[in-house]
Amino acid sequence: MQTKAVFDSLHPLEINLLAAFSQSADKPLSDSSLHDISQLEPAQVSMALGWLQAKKLIRIHSEVITAWVGLTEVGHRYLKIGSPPEWIVRTCRQGAEEGRSFTVKDLQGLNTFPPAELSRAFGLLKKEGAIALGAGGRIEATETLSPTVEKIYTLLQQLKKTRQELLLFSPDQQALLRQYAVKRGSAQEPFRIKERIQREYTPTKTGKAVAKRCHAGTVEEVSQLTTDMLKDGSWRNKRFRKYTITLRPPRVAPGRRHPYREFLDLVKHKLVAMGFQEMRGPLVETEFWNMDALYMPQFHPARAIHDVYFVKTPTHAETIAEPFLSQVAAAHEYGGPTGSSGWGYRYDKERARRLILRSQGTAVSARTLASNPLVPGKYFSMARCFRYDQVDATHATDFFQIEGIVLGEDINFRTLLGLLTIFAKEMAQAEESKFFPAYFPFTEPSVELHVRHPKLGWMELGGAGLFRPEVTQPLGVTVPVVAWGLGLDRMAMVALEVHDIRELFSVDLEKVRTLRGRFA
Amino acid sequence: MPTISFFQKNFEQLLGQSAPLAQLESWLPLVKGELKDYTRATGEIRVELQDSNRPDLWSVEGIARQIRIKLQGSPLAYPFLDTKTRPKRRILVAEGLERVRPYVAACAATGYTVTEESLTQLIQVQEKLADLYGHKRKTVSVGLYRLSRIQFPVTYGLVKPTEARFTPLGFSEKLTLQDILTVHPKGIEYGSIMADQPLLPLLWDTEGQILSFPPIINSQDIGQVHAGDSALLVEVTGTDMRMVLLTLNIFATNLADRGAAIDPIDVQYPYDTGWGKSIRTPCDISDVQKIPLKAIDSALGLPFDAELVQQTLRAYGYEVKASRHTLAVRLPHYRSDLMHPVDVAEDVAISRGYDSFVPAMPAQFTVGSLSSLEMMSDYIRDHMIGQGFQEIFSNILLSHEELVERMRLPASDQVVEVDNVMSQSFSCLRSWIVPSLLRVETASPRAFYPHRLFEIGEVAIPDLSRELGSRTEIRLGIVIAHPHANFSEVHTCLDVLMFYLVKDYELEPLSHGSFLDGRAGTILCQGQSRGLIGELHPEVLENWGISVPISVCELDVDWLCSDSP
Repeated sequence: MQTKAVFDSLHPLEINLLAAFSQSADKPLSDSSLHDISQLEPAQVSMALGWLQAKKLIRIHSEVITAWVGLTEVGHRYLKIGSPPEWIVRTCRQGAEEGRSFTVKDLQGLNTFPPAELSRAFGLLKKEGAIALGAGGRIEATETLSPTVEKIYTLLQQLKKTRQELLLFSPDQQALLRQYAVKRGSAQEPFRIKERIQREYTPTKTGKAVAKRCHAGTVEEVSQLTTDMLKDGSWRNKRFRKYTITLRPPRVAPGRRHPYREFLDLVKHKLVAMGFQEMRGPLVETEFWNMDALYMPQFHPARAIHDVYFVKTPTHAETIAEPFLSQVAAAHEYGGPTGSSGWGYRYDKERARRLILRSQGTAVSARTLASNPLVPGKYFSMARCFRYDQVDATHATDFFQIEGIVLGEDINFRTLLGLLTIFAKEMAQAEESKFFPAYFPFTEPSVELHVRHPKLGWMELGGAGLFRPEVTQPLGVTVPVVAWGLGLDRMAMVALEVHDIRELFSVDLEKVRTLRGRFA
Repeated sequence: MPTISFFQKNFEQLLGQSAPLAQLESWLPLVKGELKDYTRATGEIRVELQDSNRPDLWSVEGIARQIRIKLQGSPLAYPFLDTKTRPKRRILVAEGLERVRPYVAACAATGYTVTEESLTQLIQVQEKLADLYGHKRKTVSVGLYRLSRIQFPVTYGLVKPTEARFTPLGFSEKLTLQDILTVHPKGIEYGSIMADQPLLPLLWDTEGQILSFPPIINSQDIGQVHAGDSALLVEVTGTDMRMVLLTLNIFATNLADRGAAIDPIDVQYPYDTGWGKSIRTPCDISDVQKIPLKAIDSALGLPFDAELVQQTLRAYGYEVKASRHTLAVRLPHYRSDLMHPVDVAEDVAISRGYDSFVPAMPAQFTVGSLSSLEMMSDYIRDHMIGQGFQEIFSNILLSHEELVERMRLPASDQVVEVDNVMSQSFSCLRSWIVPSLLRVETASPRAFYPHRLFEIGEVAIPDLSRELGSRTEIRLGIVIAHPHANFSEVHTCLDVLMFYLVKDYELEPLSHGSFLDGRAGTILCQGQSRGLIGELHPEVLENWGISVPISVCELDVDWLCSDSP
């Protein structure tokens, strides 16, 4: 790796350590001297040493194991009140001056030291002749000083400030230190001996090259660029911490169109691009506009109570606009002036006013036909419709029908097929389509459009036909009219990978947030 | 639209040639049929027939017939329509039936021995015709009998409900008509057709044997056909003469196609039927109609030669006489669906095959556009998405409880309700958007917060001043849900939205059950109320099972499209 690239990847702590090496002419340095030179905390030094070794920028030059001795808490206590033998001698001398004397039991009763320590101290003092036991077990301090007590005293004083290397003491002292050091089984000792591994480090060849670039204290690492840094230019002396960019970022929920509505948006924009004008209509409709105007006879099986939702109140619309009511009634009864024989039954004008929830989008087209539409004219609606169906994977309580009309002098069966060919291409990217005879009460001829979808294969895309004259003429339209409807939900469901139509209207926010699809 | 089932072998017998499945499928457009199912092992085929005006196609006989005609290129001859011989059997209709069930038609079929399979087919046609075409027997019903047991003439008359007794199908003892209506399963199912009739229709023969109680049930001994029978009486009664005649014609033709000889029957009425008082059935029911060739041309978008049209229509079963500009056409006796020349045009197209028409592109120019309401909705949707809101798209049938009670609104609040409710959960059109969004909140406590939701969509507001008793409006609903959601946050959203809509507004304190008191307002624009905003009342949240604070806003959209400032 290039020296520069290595340098760029360095953490400031690593730079500081490498700088210490270069300052010391790349001599081997121990961690304590590195600590002195770099002014870094010992923990920082050992961290940076680890990193630099891993990067093979430094290596261990030498390794020396040394024993160090220092005071324990017990040792510091001895400094304050004396070691047990020292305390025993002092207490007994003071007592003698005041004309008092103590037995072993008396001294134990003062609770200054644990009994075990006291007994060891008595043993030592007696052996070295510093005390003698008089009548009744009274302790008498002799004139003889205990050499051990003196030696311990000296050692305590020497180690009062700092730990020292064990080897610096005389063999005699070393033996004493070892005797009075904390060991397994005797925790209450004044000294502790610890082995330390002292290593010296030296930069590798690459390390030396990189170290040349390193200057202690010149670079500070920051994580966030701040406006202050930009204002005062201090960003120039900063190093910006590098991120681990391979981690996943935190999740957010963006503002977003509903995926199914996004699909419908695409459809609606395609229809507009094809020259269709949007029409709208009410959710609550009369049977007249929903069915009668479409030449569905009032006895038609699909008009029963089990197919359509009826409104509870009011049950009927006030009126149906004339002349449409009379003209539609005539068409149903005997054809009126349309040249048709009609259905040949008595039309019920009361029934025509019955209010229902719109069951087919064609109701919107019927209203448009009666409102002086443009000729030539193309219209579409995306109408929410309601059917009296058990809700299941293929039936939602309400759904959208995409339907419309095309009016024009040049409309006929062949232009109808032409229009459907365009639909096949625009709506399903289908190059192939097939037309089958179909039946709708309001169109003749009627066609079912099947297309070969690039992904889904052959599928039914929609139905269409030429409005019967019994539909158009009573509504005041004299030119031929195409009526068409598209079934696009299956395409939407495949694009969104849902298998249940209810999921297009899901109430599960997590689902809505994660549903996505490519519709184009 | 009926789906019927038949066996491939039977179909081939009727067609007079073999019909592999692919071949059969290619013929189905001729009958507007769609193959639903095929069981290779048994050769059973299920086909859905689309055309509700072509009951003649709702049988294997009818399907085979239409295809046979196409293959031979001309209509089939049915000698029973020849009026020269006088029928030897009669049905006498009694006075008074014009007020109950006025019409009857019948014929005899002999020389064809019914098999198990053809019996199944006969019953299937009988049921489909009576159920779908005859409106669950109300308009038309069909009876089949063993001809050998009946002594003519047969009387179609009226009796008192307790006067006549016979053993109905499926029973072993005699019941009065009254009892049949209350006890027999068919009486219970179809009895409403005869509700409130002091006198009931009955068919009996000259020896007083009862054939049936139409349209309810046949007699057990005469009115039950068995495999092996080779002489049948077919009878149709109903309330519409044309439909009754058509139904009989279909039955007679189906039996003739199976090889039966059809003997017509004279039906004599004491009242006029519109077809005379004495009618020989089956009979031709269609008149010759003159259709200008131009009507076909302009509907199909091609100039047709009169002879070609004649050929094409004959190959679909029509009788046709063509002159230069006019066609004189007559439908076959088993059809009655010609209301307008466009019906003939479609048959020309079907007979020719839709594939034979070259699509032509509509050439006239039109300008496409969205409604101003849709454009405004899209503008607001874009804006709300910019503010970081997730769009929601809901079904809009909710329960009264969700719209009113859970929202702490007075029960007197009106919503558009459905009369024939399928499920209480979907019994009302929503009157505002917020409950739709709360449905999402209830279902989504585990979706990470904050939740910032909106929906623009239709609501229905009861309004007796309108012709339809209600009006459809577009509304924007906003819901903000997270542990610190409050009034100020949603107020900010509204404020920014109104800024970009270039609308001045002010909030007027509002006392409203759904909101915490003192934390709700009406959105006023030039003194007009255009919506509301507030923090939802904790009890509302409890009612919905939601445990996070929610602030909401609901804004009318329609007025934004008008020119009012």
